[in-house]
Amino acid sequence: MVFVGGAGVLAIAREVQIPLLAVLLIGGFAAKARRALGARSIDAGIGPTGLFPFRLQRPAAIVICVSEFGLGVGLLVTAGRIGVGPPAVAVRAATFVLFCTAVAALAELRSRRPDVGCGCFGDVSSTPVGWRTITRAALLGAAALSTIGVPPLHMLGSLDQSGQALAVTVAELALLAVLSPEIGELMVRLGRAEPCELRRVPVAKTLDTLWASTSWRRYQRYLITTTPTDVWREGCWRFAVFPGILASRRVEVIFAVYMSGRHAPIRAGVIDIDTPPATSPSSRYSSLTVYRKSAILKNKINISSNGPG
Amino acid sequence: MTSRGSQSHGGQVRRKAHVCAGCADLTDSGPTTRYARRALLRAAVFDSPVFDGHDQEFWAYRPPRAATVVTGVLAEVTPRAIVVARPDGDQFIALSPSTVTWLGAKVSPTALRAGDPVIVRRRTHRLIPGSPPADGDAGPGPGPAASVAERIWARIGRVAGEILEVRGRELLVDTGQHGREPERVVIAEASLRHVQVRFPRLTPGYLIDVIGTRRGDGDLLAVTPATAQPPYLAAHPPAPPPTGAYSGGPISGAAVWHEPGDERADLLGVGYAALDPETEGGSVAPGDAAHQHEPCARLPYLSLGSAVQVRNECADRAAVLPVTSCSASARQFCDRCVKCGTSPRVRVADLTMAAFVELGGNLEDGCFNATLTLAG
Repeated sequence: MVFVGGAGVLAIAREVQIPLLAVLLIGGFAAKARRALGARSIDAGIGPTGLFPFRLQRPAAIVICVSEFGLGVGLLVTAGRIGVGPPAVAVRAATFVLFCTAVAALAELRSRRPDVGCGCFGDVSSTPVGWRTITRAALLGAAALSTIGVPPLHMLGSLDQSGQALAVTVAELALLAVLSPEIGELMVRLGRAEPCELRRVPVAKTLDTLWASTSWRRYQRYLITTTPTDVWREGCWRFAVFPGILASRRVEVIFAVYMSGRHAPIRAGVIDIDTPPATSPSSRYSSLTVYRKSAILKNKINISSNGPG
Repeated sequence: MTSRGSQSHGGQVRRKAHVCAGCADLTDSGPTTRYARRALLRAAVFDSPVFDGHDQEFWAYRPPRAATVVTGVLAEVTPRAIVVARPDGDQFIALSPSTVTWLGAKVSPTALRAGDPVIVRRRTHRLIPGSPPADGDAGPGPGPAASVAERIWARIGRVAGEILEVRGRELLVDTGQHGREPERVVIAEASLRHVQVRFPRLTPGYLIDVIGTRRGDGDLLAVTPATAQPPYLAAHPPAPPPTGAYSGGPISGAAVWHEPGDERADLLGVGYAALDPETEGGSVAPGDAAHQHEPCARLPYLSLGSAVQVRNECADRAAVLPVTSCSASARQFCDRCVKCGTSPRVRVADLTMAAFVELGGNLEDGCFNATLTLAG
């Protein structure tokens, strides 16, 4: 029996990261490709591309997909003796950079588009980006960093080593599962339970969720009434609007409640209704009023609007 | 676009359970104001990025703007041009030999008459490169522009719904819209056989969807079937697919169009089959609820003002449009569009006429294969 110490376990853990990262990258690419084929658009549903101007979204989506596939294949190819040396280091370093970029992009996405998912694994990554998704990307970045300098992979020499490699893999997959909102989405689909977009949810239940939230407690003192003036729904999000007074100005406080059950993300925003937003000089093509971002920002009260989610 | 008179057949009209509960609320409370405001309020929460570049560079609350469609009433017709009267002034549109004119069939532009309500798809030509634009409608680049009509539809109308009564070639059709009287459809004698090929059961209880011209009395003179007749009775539509069939991604199906009704003729919007019954449905009595139809596919619940992207798969054109109404026909008709390939059996979007034309659809075709994606 071969005794494997702490250093040995660490070495095995580093070796395990290479195939694990490769599988995740290729899996992510495959899921994105499946969605792109379904939508007939390469940039459909890939969350962070929404941060780019429209004309750059498609190239950005292509870069993401190609990077994932290329690095996934590259990790596998250079795992053995073929790419020993600079090629292996380059691929692993590039993987590390990819996940570091992902962490930054997801944090930015969560800030700018808190309503969209990361799109990491196509359709099943529709849950709004949260700390779990960002932590997962950071964890994978650390895993990629740990692979730099790992010698070529070889067959494990003993049953103990194999058992430890299996244990490390299972533990890491379990951790990734905990950090992956996609698992819940997959369970819903496999269990044929109704996705939240299709579920009828009474308004009273949404309001109960809202009233129990920290966002509500934060804004409640500004509200004139606890009866919403308008309630509507967009997929998994339900919106409720309440009139209020803030700094002697009439405002409207808008809450968005994600209808996914317990610990639902809740977002809030406040607008000043005494200063109407700029409208289009010509509305002849549509009866909609034109709202530009500058007008929104001008009228938005400067209060942190992030909820607990 | 056209004023439609309300007819009834001597008190024999049966009022059916409304397919779209809540449509009355939507019209009564001024949906335009509500959904426009919702877009603003939503943006205050999510602060969706909006780009100040070209028209296609938005994905959120900036409203759609027709680039190629003109709606209005014909003020003047000459062999070389038409003048379309609009609330914001007359619009001069040149005719060309390739201009296609539809008035119950393809006709010469000289068949048009002043007073006809029209919808025109145009293209814009730059006249003198380098000089200032003629108006705000001009495309990118300098120089005055001239509009040339590609297609003109005059007095076009459409009726889709359940047949209530049949008297020879006259039908009384319940469109399923709350507060609307049943519509009278007269099938043109020359088109009767053509319509019956696609709608063999012209009997009460079955569905019909026909396109024609609006007559002076508001009735529809049907000249062509818009689709094929679903094989089921309107009161017994097929059960919706299981929830497991919902993938969360883009939804393929047919995009159809509807007449403006209470909407503005130039409104770019979508009638949607799955408005949230909790917030858009109003109060529904238990008895009525039992008669409401489920859509033919699992569609995510939305509300007025929600943004969806509709892609015309046949013309490869797409636009982000607001949901502006509930669609009774999208709930009733589980049918396909075979304009380019065979679509799944669901109407994913019931577009306004202007939106349908803007996306490259030809009104007389009735539908195009479409993909609907949630925007925002």
